[in-house]
Amino acid sequence: MRFEESIWDQTRRHFLTSTASGLGAAALASLLQQDRLLGDGPSVDPLAPKPSPLPAKAKQCIFILPAGAPSHLDLFDPKPKLRELHGEKPPASLLENVRFAFVKKETAVLAGSAREFTKHGECGMELSDFLPHLGGCADDLCLVRSMHTDAFNHHPAQLMLCSGVPRFGRPSMGSWLNYGLGSEANDLPGYVVLTAGRGSSGGVSNWSSGFLPSTYEGVVFRSEGEPVLNLNNPPGIDRDVQQQGLETLSKLNRRRFEQVQDPEIASRISSYELAFRMQAAAPELVDLSDETQETLDAYGVTRKEPEKFDFRGGGANVYKQFATNCVLARRMIERGVRFVTLVHASWDHHSNIDEELGYNAGMADQPIAALIKDLKQRGLLDSTLVVFAGEFGRTPLWENRGGNQSNVVGRDHHPSAFSVVMAGGGIKGGQVYGETDEIGWSPVKDPVHVNDFHATILHLFGFDHLRFTHKFKGLEVRLTDQGGKVIQPLLA
Amino acid sequence: MRSVSPVALAFVLLLLSSSKADDAKSLPAAADRKVDFVADVRPILRKTCYSCHGAQEQEAGLRLDVKMRALAGGDSGKSIVPGDSANSRLITLVAGLDEDAGLMPPEGEGTPLTPEQIAVLRAWIDQGAIWPDNAGVGSTESDHWSFQPILHPPLPTPQDFAWVRNPIDTFILQQLDAAGIRPSEEASPETLMRRVYLDLLGLPPTPQELDAFLTDSRADAYERMVERVLSSPHYGERWGRHWLDLARYADSDGYEKDRARPYAWRYRNWVIDALNADLPYDQFSIEQIAGDMLPDATLEQRVASGFHRNTLHNTEGGTDQEEDRVKKTVDRTNTVGAMWLGLTVGCAQCHSHKYDPLTQREYYQLYAFFNDIDESDIDAPLPADQERVRLAKAAFDAEHEKLTAAVKDYEATQLAGAQAAWETTALDKAVVWQTVEPTTAMSKNGATLQRQDDASWLATGKNEVSDVYTIEAVVDAKRVSAVRLEVLPDKSLVKEGPGRADNGNFVLTTFSVLASPTSGEEEPTKIELTSAKADFSQNDWQVEKAINDDPADGWAVSPEFGKRHVAVFEAKEAVGFAGGTKLTFVLDQNYNQSTHNLGRFRLSFTSGQLPVTLEGMPVDVANALAKPAGERTDDEQKQVAAYFRSVDPELNRLNQIVADHAKKAPAASDVKAQAIVQVAQHRQANIHIRGDFLNKGEPVVALTPSVLPGLAAEESRHNRLEFARWLFAADNPLTARVTVNRVWQQIFGRGIVTTVDDFGTQGEMPTHPELLDWLASEFQRQGWSVKQLQRLILTSATYRQSATFRSDLAEADPYNALVARQQRQRVEAETIRDIALAASGLLDSRIGGPSVRPPQPAEYSDLTYANSAKWQVSQGGDAYRRGLYTFFQRTSPYPMLMTFDSPDSTECCTQRSLSNTPLQALTLWNDPAFYECAQAFGSRVVTEVPPSGDLARTMRERARYAFMLCLSRHPTDDELEDVIALRLAQQKRAAADPEATKQIVGKHVVPDGSSLEELAAWIIVARTLINLDEFITRE
Repeated sequence: MRFEESIWDQTRRHFLTSTASGLGAAALASLLQQDRLLGDGPSVDPLAPKPSPLPAKAKQCIFILPAGAPSHLDLFDPKPKLRELHGEKPPASLLENVRFAFVKKETAVLAGSAREFTKHGECGMELSDFLPHLGGCADDLCLVRSMHTDAFNHHPAQLMLCSGVPRFGRPSMGSWLNYGLGSEANDLPGYVVLTAGRGSSGGVSNWSSGFLPSTYEGVVFRSEGEPVLNLNNPPGIDRDVQQQGLETLSKLNRRRFEQVQDPEIASRISSYELAFRMQAAAPELVDLSDETQETLDAYGVTRKEPEKFDFRGGGANVYKQFATNCVLARRMIERGVRFVTLVHASWDHHSNIDEELGYNAGMADQPIAALIKDLKQRGLLDSTLVVFAGEFGRTPLWENRGGNQSNVVGRDHHPSAFSVVMAGGGIKGGQVYGETDEIGWSPVKDPVHVNDFHATILHLFGFDHLRFTHKFKGLEVRLTDQGGKVIQPLLA
Repeated sequence: MRSVSPVALAFVLLLLSSSKADDAKSLPAAADRKVDFVADVRPILRKTCYSCHGAQEQEAGLRLDVKMRALAGGDSGKSIVPGDSANSRLITLVAGLDEDAGLMPPEGEGTPLTPEQIAVLRAWIDQGAIWPDNAGVGSTESDHWSFQPILHPPLPTPQDFAWVRNPIDTFILQQLDAAGIRPSEEASPETLMRRVYLDLLGLPPTPQELDAFLTDSRADAYERMVERVLSSPHYGERWGRHWLDLARYADSDGYEKDRARPYAWRYRNWVIDALNADLPYDQFSIEQIAGDMLPDATLEQRVASGFHRNTLHNTEGGTDQEEDRVKKTVDRTNTVGAMWLGLTVGCAQCHSHKYDPLTQREYYQLYAFFNDIDESDIDAPLPADQERVRLAKAAFDAEHEKLTAAVKDYEATQLAGAQAAWETTALDKAVVWQTVEPTTAMSKNGATLQRQDDASWLATGKNEVSDVYTIEAVVDAKRVSAVRLEVLPDKSLVKEGPGRADNGNFVLTTFSVLASPTSGEEEPTKIELTSAKADFSQNDWQVEKAINDDPADGWAVSPEFGKRHVAVFEAKEAVGFAGGTKLTFVLDQNYNQSTHNLGRFRLSFTSGQLPVTLEGMPVDVANALAKPAGERTDDEQKQVAAYFRSVDPELNRLNQIVADHAKKAPAASDVKAQAIVQVAQHRQANIHIRGDFLNKGEPVVALTPSVLPGLAAEESRHNRLEFARWLFAADNPLTARVTVNRVWQQIFGRGIVTTVDDFGTQGEMPTHPELLDWLASEFQRQGWSVKQLQRLILTSATYRQSATFRSDLAEADPYNALVARQQRQRVEAETIRDIALAASGLLDSRIGGPSVRPPQPAEYSDLTYANSAKWQVSQGGDAYRRGLYTFFQRTSPYPMLMTFDSPDSTECCTQRSLSNTPLQALTLWNDPAFYECAQAFGSRVVTEVPPSGDLARTMRERARYAFMLCLSRHPTDDELEDVIALRLAQQKRAAADPEATKQIVGKHVVPDGSSLEELAAWIIVARTLINLDEFITRE
């Protein structure tokens, strides 16, 4: 059976047994007694929860995307040798077949990190002094230092990270998981995106459902104002009016159903009911008034914003926004949302790296650590995978755009090596996996390609990445494209 | 598995400085005898190679059972090098000498070759790899259905011929008969009309159109209705949108920067017009694929080639331009493959697929057709604009002709007399500027002043923050009434001056003139200058400020640099001395901020009457005028006449009228189009190994895939135009089938071949192969007329069936593959917008033109990179245009469109998905654009159905009208009851909450005879109706 067909079978069964809730329940129930009419046609509730094909530890995911690509050399991957070689020319052979976005090879020099790295936790994971709070979670973290990717410009590389190929048109990981597993959230979308600061290079394509129906697309929630696009009724229309309108709407839709008997109408009735429930649930979700002060403090929601924020893509209140988003992510996990993406896009440090990366790390470190601890304390970490991953790494060379040594130092795009951090959801914490060479240029041990990374995540969610496919344009397409292998040592 | 980048390896090697041990295997020597292909070689190949490299599979694109293919090689290049077995990949691999590739055949696929077998193969290759034609060269012909010639099958004769309306029905009915299924009954006329309108126009019929159809009792009323709809100019909008899906149309570049494409719409206009005109599909296609290469290509044909410009374009910093070009070329190849050939050729971009009909080599041979494209933006006035400009220009020219004739007439009849009259007093009144010839010129702060040939002075050398030039001259005039300063451009100055400041400016803070007799005994006296005029003065730096009392201001000329400027200064009283007058000019340039000193200048004076003019009468003319007319030379006469022409008020007036009119000449359109051209220097195409453009494999030439009837063999290189024509060759089996299948899908929601973009071996088989062929051959026979094809489909009984679900079909035909009923389909995103606007009466139905930005939720475009895509909401009617005109910003597409499954326009989309989500509910409920429709719709219902005196009747009539507007049918009694109940409840509620009621109604005016509460209640009803499943569904 093709995957689509098996999905259809499951959703149909689910629809017949469990959809009749909420507003038009009684009427729907009677409607469903005519279930023969539903035949074998197109799916009814495509987001109905479905069991994973294989046993799974992870049920939900929080994917933190520091778009722009943070420097692995200044956060995760200490390179004392690079410091020794600071200012020296790299060996010519290193630069032979490699392309850069901006670095000019002729005058390129090696650049050590100004950061101090210290050991954390029982596992002794080395992290930069920019990440003191994450250090406190070291024994829950799995740090992969040997990631590599195929694209060296932001947008293609973000697509690679989010959808498995450096091109448009493929479903993002969150879409795949909602497609495969449905959503447990009864009154929220199964795939939610939260952004802080400015937009990312990839924009909405980073959470696109690609060729899958838009049912599986990430829904952007805002931490301020209307949480979801068009969530609020127009002025003058309160919940009573909305409900009266909805009742008539459902009645009329049901009458049409009785006439033409198209199950798609039943599906639309439930979409409207979910929308109506979302109108109540989403504002409740973003209302943090029931969180304790202790929790808000732990995440850093109440932190003082740094005085200087006029960096590229910084902006007022980004610290608060990001911390709030981390709290919201936990609240969504509690409410059954399958996949939460947190985007913050300002990590492209071609210059001024010490100050700007420090600013960003300061923004991200405390809330992410608090999120991991909070999930753990609530017993959610075991089933929730938390990922922090940029689209590529940064060069062990100073940026010298146009051949000139910049006086505000930074690093160029570097797809050959970068680091990602994972926690929970069946990941084996307290370990560093993979190694790069002495200057952090390329993996020398246990390389992990982005496709491998995806294969491993799918495995955690109970999918064989080779069999989790959707036919499109003559290809059985999968998240891992033509590659991918599960990295067993990452698994608990 | 992917390997670590070569760089990593290089670096590791460098660090460890170790070397790789080379455990070379030995290669068996070639057999020492003459070998024969048939007797010796083929048996070996057949036994060990053909199972993976033969007719069934072609791993790595290599096929060894066909001579041409075997000698051409596979994805990695040639595998047989005749005469050189040691360098033939075939030998290397069967001998296991390539560690990366491993031994052939691989484990599990066959037994390794013996040294003797290898020796035979080597000998064969060394002896020239002779494969005699009489041995059978093999054939790549495929038996796959879609590559076979299109037939014109005879019509079946199903049992119930009475149901049949046209040939389509015979094919459908035959298969239904076979399955023992009856077709569905015909849909109601109301449903049929709405179906035809939505399918062909994407708009609902108006209640008047519906009435006219329902009361048309003629036997062919339906056919007439279809005919009318097919000729509507909105047809091109609806089917144009389908086409734009395929053509991956957008209004911005995509990727991070996502810059706007201000003229992308020009191509869209072409599509709409071409479809409305039913441009035959072959021509329609050829013009888009290769319009630029057609002989004497018209502007519209070049605009059509803009089809290739819809690719993404990466302008992100650090992008490799060649990589971006290759990506576009790949996209062009894949798009053309999907649209016309129905083949997912893109799969072969990276490597050959063992079952697919295209090898990787063939992919790049296709790619080569598109590899010589260069992009070019062209002026592209719209045909209507061209005509408008032509007419306006004709009117203008006629008027202009009159005005110039008036000048000629005056010159011929009156000019001479006027000159004669003028000459009698001209000299007395003349102002003649005489250039002074200085005796000294000095700079206070050390600049060097050099006399130029034209008696002007050029400052060079030192250039201090301020300076004073003092110029002395002796003139023999007894009367000096005014002086003149000309500042002149010079190549040596910044921006050619006339000043020496770093922008070419100067500031003349004080200009003064002193006069004394030449005897030199009297102290010079300052001439009191009372008025100053100049041809140009900088804002706030008027020339008068050079003679006022304030030393801080003065005359300057920014931004008019590099030009001559003239200032004249009049004396309060003329001065002069018998025996000559000594003039001392003092040019104070004390701006004191930077070097605003004069660069080049000339001084002159006049004795003429005040007020003086800037240019005055040239000295030569004055001298000529001083002579009696009869004594002047011809030259002098000409000079006088020419001067008179320049000062004659009447002639100047007439000329000014001509000049003013010339400024009103109609402007040519500034519309441009994105087009393409063939590159001047042919680019060599290569196979890209594993799809990597940096990893170039063998060179390839442009060629069509071998499974299809080829281009006529020629020695010369084939080009894109030939390719485009080849698509429409009589023996091309794909183009017609693919096209009719796609049209069928767009109408029925499901193709006869459900994989509309995959007619290859991995695609689905057609459900009705004879029908597909019959339609395809009809399509060709009818001159590739798309409208004729649609006419045929829409007038079939098959199309006219009801869409009601049937319990007998639920198990027998769950996906409606046999078409025993019509298919309810949610309408597409743009159509949802269009029908809401149409029902509410807000729709601005203008066709074509630039894209517009209707209202969207405010924070939405914040998601783009650094907020690069600001959304300036269009004003007036442009806020209510049809959905296909909405500006499509690739990285932040209009949210409503995306919520309803518009393609993201990053690649060719042959089939939209149709999802059903809560966000769609929220959009129809609350999106400002839809709520505005609800308000206008509610208001329209109240306005257009005025109160009849009977409250209940009015309410029912309004409800019926509302149903007609949005569903094109009357409500059932139950529905009427539901609507009226809502209407009554809402009015009650409105009365109880006046504040909310006001907000609900918003800016809408309460119609006569109604009330705010009533209007609010109808708005809520209207909002409910446009949220109905049926409203957004074509039944």
